[in-house]
Amino acid sequence: MAQLPLPTSLDEVVSLIRELYSPNSPDTISKVQEVLHRLQRSQEGWQLAQSLITHSDDNIKFYAALTLIVKLNRDSAELSEDEAKGLIENIVGWVLQSLADGSGAFVTKKLCSALVTYFIHFSHLWPSCVRHFVSCLDIGRAFPPDALDDTLPTKELVLKLNGQQTKLAVWFIASLVDEVGKTDMNSPKYSNLHRRLAKNVDDAVCILARGFAPPPEDGQADALSCYQAWILYAQRASSSTDTLVEPLRVLVDPAMQCFANESLFQSTAELFSDVLFNYSAFFTEAHYNSLASLLCDSLWAAEHYSRTMHGNHQEDGISFGLLMLAYGDAKVHKLMTSTDDRSQRFLERLSGLLNTDGYLVAEDSIFVPALEFWATFVETMIDTAHDPDTAESDYGNGWKLLAEKHIMTVVTYCWRKIQWPPIEIIAEWDSTEKTGFNEARKDVSDVLQSIFALNASTLVSMFADLFLQSMSVQAWAQVEASAFCLGSLSDCFCDNSKFDGELSKVFASGFFELLSEYQGPIPLRLRQTGLSLIERYCEYFERHAEYLPHALNLLFAAVGDPVLGGPSARSISTLCSSCRSILTGEAGAFIRHYQTIRSSQVLDSLAEERIVLAITSIIQSIPDENQRLAMFEELYVFLKQDFDRSAQLKAEPSILNLSDPNFQRGVDPSNLQGLPSAEDVALQIALRSLRCLANMAKGMQDVKDHLVDLDDESPPPPREGEMAGLQVDIIRLMVNVQQTFNNSGEIVEIICNIFKAGFSEGEPGPFVFPPDIVTDYFVQQTFETPRLGTLLSTACSFAGSLYRGPKTFVANHLARLIPWVISVIQALAEPESDTEITQNSICFVQKVMSRYPDVLFQQPSQMLEYFFMFCLKVLNGKEPLPKAEAALFWSGFITLKSEDPGLQTAISNAMNHLGPLLAQTLMQNIGGNAARSELDKLSEPLKKLVTQHVRAKSWLHEALFDPSFPDSQVTDQEKRQFLDRIMGLRGGRQTNQVVREFWLACRGSNFAYAS
Amino acid sequence: MALCQNRLQEERKQWRKDHPFGFYARPQKTPQGVLDLKVWECGIPGKEKTIWEGGLFKMTVTFPDEYPTKPPKCKFVPPLFHPNVYPSGTVCLSILNEEEAWKPAITVKQILLGVQDLLNDPNPESPAQAEAYNLFKKDRVEYERRIKRIVRENAAP
Repeated sequence: MAQLPLPTSLDEVVSLIRELYSPNSPDTISKVQEVLHRLQRSQEGWQLAQSLITHSDDNIKFYAALTLIVKLNRDSAELSEDEAKGLIENIVGWVLQSLADGSGAFVTKKLCSALVTYFIHFSHLWPSCVRHFVSCLDIGRAFPPDALDDTLPTKELVLKLNGQQTKLAVWFIASLVDEVGKTDMNSPKYSNLHRRLAKNVDDAVCILARGFAPPPEDGQADALSCYQAWILYAQRASSSTDTLVEPLRVLVDPAMQCFANESLFQSTAELFSDVLFNYSAFFTEAHYNSLASLLCDSLWAAEHYSRTMHGNHQEDGISFGLLMLAYGDAKVHKLMTSTDDRSQRFLERLSGLLNTDGYLVAEDSIFVPALEFWATFVETMIDTAHDPDTAESDYGNGWKLLAEKHIMTVVTYCWRKIQWPPIEIIAEWDSTEKTGFNEARKDVSDVLQSIFALNASTLVSMFADLFLQSMSVQAWAQVEASAFCLGSLSDCFCDNSKFDGELSKVFASGFFELLSEYQGPIPLRLRQTGLSLIERYCEYFERHAEYLPHALNLLFAAVGDPVLGGPSARSISTLCSSCRSILTGEAGAFIRHYQTIRSSQVLDSLAEERIVLAITSIIQSIPDENQRLAMFEELYVFLKQDFDRSAQLKAEPSILNLSDPNFQRGVDPSNLQGLPSAEDVALQIALRSLRCLANMAKGMQDVKDHLVDLDDESPPPPREGEMAGLQVDIIRLMVNVQQTFNNSGEIVEIICNIFKAGFSEGEPGPFVFPPDIVTDYFVQQTFETPRLGTLLSTACSFAGSLYRGPKTFVANHLARLIPWVISVIQALAEPESDTEITQNSICFVQKVMSRYPDVLFQQPSQMLEYFFMFCLKVLNGKEPLPKAEAALFWSGFITLKSEDPGLQTAISNAMNHLGPLLAQTLMQNIGGNAARSELDKLSEPLKKLVTQHVRAKSWLHEALFDPSFPDSQVTDQEKRQFLDRIMGLRGGRQTNQVVREFWLACRGSNFAYAS
Repeated sequence: MALCQNRLQEERKQWRKDHPFGFYARPQKTPQGVLDLKVWECGIPGKEKTIWEGGLFKMTVTFPDEYPTKPPKCKFVPPLFHPNVYPSGTVCLSILNEEEAWKPAITVKQILLGVQDLLNDPNPESPAQAEAYNLFKKDRVEYERRIKRIVRENAAP
């Protein structure tokens, strides 16, 4: 973008400014802006501002004021003291002029900002800025600040100001406190500025006192918000609080008078609410008394309250309600513990705010803030109740009973408010209003949980009774609200049978029958809340098995529903999992349920997985093994058919028939762009059923702990009969699916999950495969298998499971797996080309080395050497995760010892060969190549090296002086000192700190190395 | 200790007064029903218009005695598949690191919003788990498919 040339005359500048404020293309505007900026920044900037300020056009004058601010901020240092003194006189003169010649308010306000900018840079030349400004206003012309006398007190000076002048003075002190407030109070650079501002507070208070009273009518609101700004400034300026607060407090009563003026109500309410909420200590007890009498006793308050209760919140606002809440918030403890009439009346009104006329959120804006107050009230009460410092006698005056009464009123109002309105009303709400309504319900449920801590039994029986009453009159919205509230409390007591009586009343009330009338009269929302109530109280159903079949039938019936299906399936899996042992007799019935649903419709895949999980967790609990396996197979057979169908479809795409539910299972509803290909459908069917199989594996996991005898040398129980056959079948199935879809990483990932589910089991089961089957599976995987990194991580889990089981044959399995793992990394182009493979293979070798070093050292030396060099390369690499794993490996390697002399010799030989290389790699890292966050991990092998090896010092010394050591700022002397220090620390914890300091020094910070 | 409690009271108040949409954050309750201000249960919703939209992820925030001098620890329960979440579930984020960008002025709201941002905007410089990091780097299609599934499994109610 070509730059415009600098203008050569004032007229040109004026026309450029006009262009800037006229409608123009963004390109033109940015060009004009650029040339004007250059001009502002030039030497002539001061002159320019001065010349333009007298122009008749407001835009030009505004630009002049802006230029002045830019110059003050950039080039104040250029001005001599005399020039600066002259400048303030000029700016004040221009402000007065702009008031006199009727310039636009935006010009005058900008000039006030220029005054403030001046004060920020030259407060020492203009310490009494407020009084000086008022004096100039009074005599109608600017004079030098040095000539300011103290003949008339400011209080009297301001009385002489007319309305316009007062307004101007308020603008000035508002801008003053805003702008100065933005500078850092804690920085020494500004401490004098803040001190000098504080000295002006008395004069500012005089202006505000004058500003609160008319005329001008329209200036009072400005004065009130300016007052608010000064109070909040005083709060932040903690060092000069006393200087500021005392004078500012004088204005509280005059400000309170402003409530009487209806047109000032908003500004006054905002002022008081803000200060009450954020700086309640500003008000004295006397102020609180005046406020209380205003808010509780006056007719004025009664009128405002009535408008909040019955009026239109959107049109009239809720300022009065917020003011009451702010007062309540500031005085919550006192209100709670008082029993006097006024406090009680006030609390009644505060709870009343939860019971206004309109619908929640869409019409009622005060409910949510009012609820927040009551949440604070309840928490304050809980804190007091549990505070050991609160003596019993504190309750003596009976406040607790009164407080509880208010809380129960709050509960009733909340219950009423959260009831869903008729559908036609909801239909008119926009999405924000709907979500707002739901969010408010969640807030209510939070508050109810808190209240539970205070008054559990009343609360539970209250909602149970409300539920029954509403049921009897078929008031569905009320039934729903009662169920919702009961559901909210489930976290508080569901594992406790204390309230089972109340819950039984609810569940025996015809509730299930009602919900099961699928096309019945009740609204969808009630059905939803009802089903979620079942899920939430699943521990109750464990204790009351008589209701369990009802509950589950109901849930199964809802599984196919587009809205209720997901939550129902989740409830089914929760209930079946926790009540598994009661439900064993129902396994067959549930399988048939599942079969019926499957044959008639396509369930959401996640819902289907959850149902399979649910049924399998019941099967797991069947005590008789034969029966258990029979049921298992009954369910497994469905999945097997799916796999067969998927393989068939892959082989013969022409058989695809999308009107058959068996094929529809393979259509991903979230991805319906165009018709899916047969291959894709085949893959989706396989994935879906494989996930179900993974859920079967999860469901078959034992929930009880069994002891494992680690020293049991006996061979694993013979694989015979049905279980072994089943296991072979499952493995064959998985292998086939993987082969059929050999590009799918998802398939491999799910297979890994299936394996892992079995690894953690102590007892035999269909997924607890014999180790040789698992090992066979792993070693057949080639480098081309997708998600090999995940397979390796599964192999690590496998090693872990072998260690937890009997010792026999463990070494054999490891000896077969090690070459496979190393062959994988041999096929890897670079360690960093797949970090997951790198990390997990090192992890695997490390696991083997720690328990069976002989297995590792039995491997061909070429292979071992490859691995060690690979592992050194990783330690020197840039990828944090494999690098951390390599550091761990080397720490283990350095400390490796064996009682077997042959093995020990092999270890020592390897160490002697690798030691110098390892030392080099570590020193290159610590010499600056590593990232800071890696240093602690890298310090571990270093510490081990120092303590374990006699030659460590010479290795490290060579490494530090090797050409491979990074170019750094440390001297040879510093290297030697570093080495002496770490050797001296003998692997102690302080090594990490020394390593850190050395790394910093190598990185070239200004660090003096202290010996 | 008192500083920690006061600050947490204030955080609680501020959160109740103003919290971002779809999030929740509340101190855990002890068995006696008293709030334990030092352990918060939080929910982080996936951001709109990202693949995380529609999910709600549970996270526990634990404040040390030295809070706010030291940062709290954020842990997804159960652990989350994400490049910057450790296998234990702990979140790796610069504003939660005492040696990096933690400042005592950072609020609970800022932390939770920061974690929400992190969901869709992982930092490949600080990987915390191999699987998610590797998939994110090597196979973005598969990574996104996995996230979408996790979102379905953790759908916001």
